[in-house]
Amino acid sequence: MNCEKYQNLLSDFIDGSLAKPDHDSVEIHLINCKPCAEARGDLVAIVGYCREHRGEYDAVPNERALWLRISNTIESELAVASPARIPPGTGWWFRLMNRSWELSFPQMAAAVAVLVIMVGAATTVGLRRFNFGGGSGVQSAGASLVLSESSVDDRYRQRKQVIAYWNQRVELNKQRWNPQMRETFDRNMSVIDAAVNDSMDRLKQNPHDEVSEEILNAALTDKVALLKEFSEL
Amino acid sequence: MIIYPPAKVCSLRNSATIFAFLIVLSLSATASAQQKVSRHFPAGKNVRLELKNISGTITVETWAREEIKITATMEAPKALFNPRQTESGLVIDVVNDNRGRNDVGDINFKVQVPARSSVDLETRRGQITVSNIQGDLVRAHISTEGNIELSGINAARVFASNTIGDIYFDGEFASGGTYEFKSGRGVITLRLPANCGFRLVATAPAQKISMGQFWHPGMKLQGEGRRVIGDVGDGRASVTVTNYQGNINFLRR
Repeated sequence: MNCEKYQNLLSDFIDGSLAKPDHDSVEIHLINCKPCAEARGDLVAIVGYCREHRGEYDAVPNERALWLRISNTIESELAVASPARIPPGTGWWFRLMNRSWELSFPQMAAAVAVLVIMVGAATTVGLRRFNFGGGSGVQSAGASLVLSESSVDDRYRQRKQVIAYWNQRVELNKQRWNPQMRETFDRNMSVIDAAVNDSMDRLKQNPHDEVSEEILNAALTDKVALLKEFSEL
Repeated sequence: MIIYPPAKVCSLRNSATIFAFLIVLSLSATASAQQKVSRHFPAGKNVRLELKNISGTITVETWAREEIKITATMEAPKALFNPRQTESGLVIDVVNDNRGRNDVGDINFKVQVPARSSVDLETRRGQITVSNIQGDLVRAHISTEGNIELSGINAARVFASNTIGDIYFDGEFASGGTYEFKSGRGVITLRLPANCGFRLVATAPAQKISMGQFWHPGMKLQGEGRRVIGDVGDGRASVTVTNYQGNINFLRR
C-alpha cells in the first residue's frame, strides 16, 4: 500500500471507523512514514478545530438556491448593459444614438483634436463677428482682430445690405422733410461716407491696419444709426 | 447840397415811416409766433433728466433748489412737449410727443437742475451746453450738427458725440469713470487739471492729436500717429476720444 492509499484512510483512522487489520496497518505505516504522519497531524488539528467551534458558523441553508439567485441577478444586469438590438428600417438618428461606441486610444485622441480645432475656429469667427457688429460706440482699446482684405470686403457687403434697406426707408420719408433738414442730412452723411471711404482705401493698401479697421467699423455703425434715426422722421 | 422840392420830402418821410412800421410789425409777428413755456417740477438731489429733442438748442445749468425748471421756446406754436415725471426723475421726449406731425421747427430748451443731477440729452440738430453738473452721468448726443460744450463737469460717466461740430470738455475725470468723446468733423478739446489720471485711447485718422503737457514718452503711437494710447497719472479713468476728420487737443488747466 502506498502513501496515497494510506492518506485516503486517514479520516476514517482518526474517526476510529476502520477495521482492525486496516487500523493496525495504517498505524504501522504512520510510525515509519514521516509525511503521512504529518498529514495525520494536520487532519487531526482541522477536525479538532471544527469540533471545538461547532455551531459558531451557520451552514448555508440551500447553497444551490443561493447560487441560482446570484446567477440570475448577474445575467439580468448584463442584459440591460448590452446594446439594444436595433430593429431594421429605423432612422439614422436612432441607429446613431443606440450604437455602442468603443474607441481605441488613437481614435479617441483624433476625435478630441478635431473637437478642439472646431471649437477654436468657431470661437475665432464668433469674436470677429462680435467685434464688427458692436454698436455701442465704445471702442475697446485692445481690439486687434486683423482681417484679410477679402473678409473686410465681405463684411462691408453685409453692412451694405443693411445700409441699403435703411436708405430706402429714408428716401421714402425724405420728401416730407423741409429743405434745411434734407441739406443737413446729406451734409452729415457725406462726413460719415468720407470716413468709410478713407478707411476702405487704407485697408486696401494695408489689410492689417487696425486703426482703419476700427474706424471703418465705427463709421458704418454711425451710418446705420443715422439712417435709422432719420427713417423715423 | 441837394435841395428836394417839398412834395418829394414829404414822400420820403412817408416811405421811412411805412418801412419802420413794417419792421416793427414783422418783429411783433415773430414774437407772437414763438411760444415760451416754463414749468417747475419737484426733484430730489440725485435726479435724472432725460431730454430728447428734434431740433434746437439745449442748455442745462445748475441751481441751489431741489427742483427742475424747464423753459422751452418753441418756434412753431403747434409743437408739443409733455414732460413726464418718473421714479428717477424727468423725461421729455419731443420726438415721441410730435410723432406723425410734420416739421415742428426748433424748440430751444433751458433747463435748471440740482447740481447732483444726471443728464441724458439728445437732439438731431442744435447746440448742447451743460455746466457744473456733479452727478453720475452727463450724456450729450447730436445726431447731425451742433457744438457740444461741457464745462465744470465732475461726473463718473460722460459721453459726448456729434457728426459735425466741436466738442469742448472742461472738467475732471473721476477714478474708475468712463469718458467718451466722438465727432465726425470738428475739433475735440479736453481741458483737464494737471493731476488727473486716465487711460487714453485717442484716434484721429485724418488730423492731428495734440497731447500738450499730458504727453510723456511712455505713450504709444499707432498707425503712423493716428492713434495715441497710454496712461496719464494713475490711469484709473477710461478715456476714449475719436475724431474722423478733426483734431484732438488736450489742454492743461
